[in-house]
Amino acid sequence: MKGLGYQLKSVFHDKFCLMTFLLPIMVAAALSFAGKVDFSSLGEHHFGVVENDLPEQAVEWLEGYGMVTVYPARKELVDAVNEPSTNLIGVESEGKGIKTMVSGDELDLFRQTADTLPILYEQRNITPQVKIQILEYPDVLEGLKDMFIAVILIVAMFMGCTFNAMNMISEKEDGVALVNEILPMTRSQYIMQKLSVGFMCGGASSIITSCIVFRFSLLNAALMLVLIVVSSFTAALIGLFIGRAAGGLMTGVVYIKMVMLLFIAVPIISFLLGLSNPFIMTVCYLVPSQATFGGIMGLSSGSMAVAIKNSLILVVHCIAWFLLYLSISKRKKCVGS
Amino acid sequence: MKGFYSLFKKDVRLMKSGKFFLMSLGFLILYTLYVNFGYIKFMDDQRYNVYLYDPEGVHRTILPLVSRVSSREELDAAILEDTRSVGIDASTGETQLILCEGAEKVDRHRIDYASASLQPSKEYQAEIVGFHTPEQKARKEITCELLFFEISAVGFLGIAAVLFREKGMGVIRIHAVLPVHKSLFLVSKLAIFLLSDLVFAVLLTIMNVGIGEGMSVLSSVLLQTALLSLLMALIGVICSLLLKDFRQFTLVYLLIAIFAATPVFLSANTAIKLDWISFHPFYHIYMGMKNAYFGTSTTAPVYYLGYLAAIAVLFIAAWCVFSREMRKEG
Repeated sequence: MKGLGYQLKSVFHDKFCLMTFLLPIMVAAALSFAGKVDFSSLGEHHFGVVENDLPEQAVEWLEGYGMVTVYPARKELVDAVNEPSTNLIGVESEGKGIKTMVSGDELDLFRQTADTLPILYEQRNITPQVKIQILEYPDVLEGLKDMFIAVILIVAMFMGCTFNAMNMISEKEDGVALVNEILPMTRSQYIMQKLSVGFMCGGASSIITSCIVFRFSLLNAALMLVLIVVSSFTAALIGLFIGRAAGGLMTGVVYIKMVMLLFIAVPIISFLLGLSNPFIMTVCYLVPSQATFGGIMGLSSGSMAVAIKNSLILVVHCIAWFLLYLSISKRKKCVGS
Repeated sequence: MKGFYSLFKKDVRLMKSGKFFLMSLGFLILYTLYVNFGYIKFMDDQRYNVYLYDPEGVHRTILPLVSRVSSREELDAAILEDTRSVGIDASTGETQLILCEGAEKVDRHRIDYASASLQPSKEYQAEIVGFHTPEQKARKEITCELLFFEISAVGFLGIAAVLFREKGMGVIRIHAVLPVHKSLFLVSKLAIFLLSDLVFAVLLTIMNVGIGEGMSVLSSVLLQTALLSLLMALIGVICSLLLKDFRQFTLVYLLIAIFAATPVFLSANTAIKLDWISFHPFYHIYMGMKNAYFGTSTTAPVYYLGYLAAIAVLFIAAWCVFSREMRKEG
């Protein structure tokens, strides 16, 4: 227990570890703040008109299709149309109808809209005899937001990996690792201490992060806790592997980046491509974060079975990695002595 | 002057041995390949498609943009595949519009657009008031982003890497006893990064925007590049002298990269306009660069005065930190 206290103390002296602990929490806070920004107008059309040019009802008609901004003179309107970051369509009156202007550098979609707008205006009072059927389609942005949250949680959970790896590498660099060898501490004690440091820090970081981004019922929260505990444990284990493999700080950072990239990229790619091939999915599940991701997505869509299945997969991961680490360090010891 | 020349030569050699130029060249090739073979090729070509299933031939006068399909199944598949499109089913006698749900106002426009495409109408083309084609715009936008990213992120990292190395080797301590003016140390560092950034900017612009277009905006782009390069190099010097080791530096770097760059890119490239963004200094710097690429450089003296003042303040700060470091080392 006393050893653990020392381990924690050394972790919190390291600013790098402290920052990696705080980073996902800060991003989560930023995300829940950004959630208040209204992205729904992003897909809408955006029109610009000159003050007192179009009749009132034409402006109202335009507002039915998208946002309308009023500019004081034609020059300002042309400048706004030419502004590269927007796809503004300029609308002016012409006789009884309207005419449009575009800058010529926008996507076809907006050019097409501008080309047909005067015709739509002419026909605005003709109500066509049609029946309209709207198919329900999942909102792409909503799904992306869920994915984003899941990825941040994965980053938070796998912080334990960074903690352990950094901790072990700096011990190596400072020569503490050599001192440890002659201390009256068994190998399993050492492993347990290192594991619990990464595990506790990664777990704490992700619990705080998930409290910020999710509003859970009690049962969901319990399942989430299980997911966090198993994932943080797996991450802490992987951190041990990295810490053992890396010779110096720079190689350690490179290893961590590679593992992190793999952990983030695999679930994102399989989610975006909508992979369902059982063989490929099995390969993806070899990366622990895939199971974490699946579990979180299952929880956010309210499917208990998926969450439980993924937690079980993570438990298998924990056991497998733990046994692997034990056998490697045992063999090393044999070779060493 | 001779002192400056030898210092400069030493810095060049140091950067060469640190593979800095090789890294820049690598990035230049990577960016150019990405722009010419990736970004431009995969520019999404979105448009409103209207699919019509009309076995009886009820609608004769349809616009050329409407594509006919031969069965209801094909129609459904087309709509689900291309969620922006609208399907028209005229097989049951009563015309039926089918579309995937989107934002309310956009849906209204799509419905009216599809209905109008069934009516006879005259051709109309919107007036074009801009000077760029979509490809030119895309090229300029991505080149500007890459240049900004390269100078503010990669250059910043480069100067820190060089300085941490010098710090580790004890070179800074030696400067205290050298018979050259202390500020020359800073000036030679800034000069070398400025030169390499300028060369990088010229090559990147010409290779990705095109020779003709690139040359016409090059002078204003180089002005912005020079200012940004000085600013970032000075921040890099200050950070690397203040921070203890490279590990702490990577964190500061991460923070700068995430919290300084994200809102700027979001605001400058999409229609999302954040209210507070005008207080973000990097937003103005980025927009200065972007406007230079699009040939609408700002001539507001406030912008340049502010920029120069910031550089001057940073230079003085860097000088103070540097002298402090030398005293400490000595």
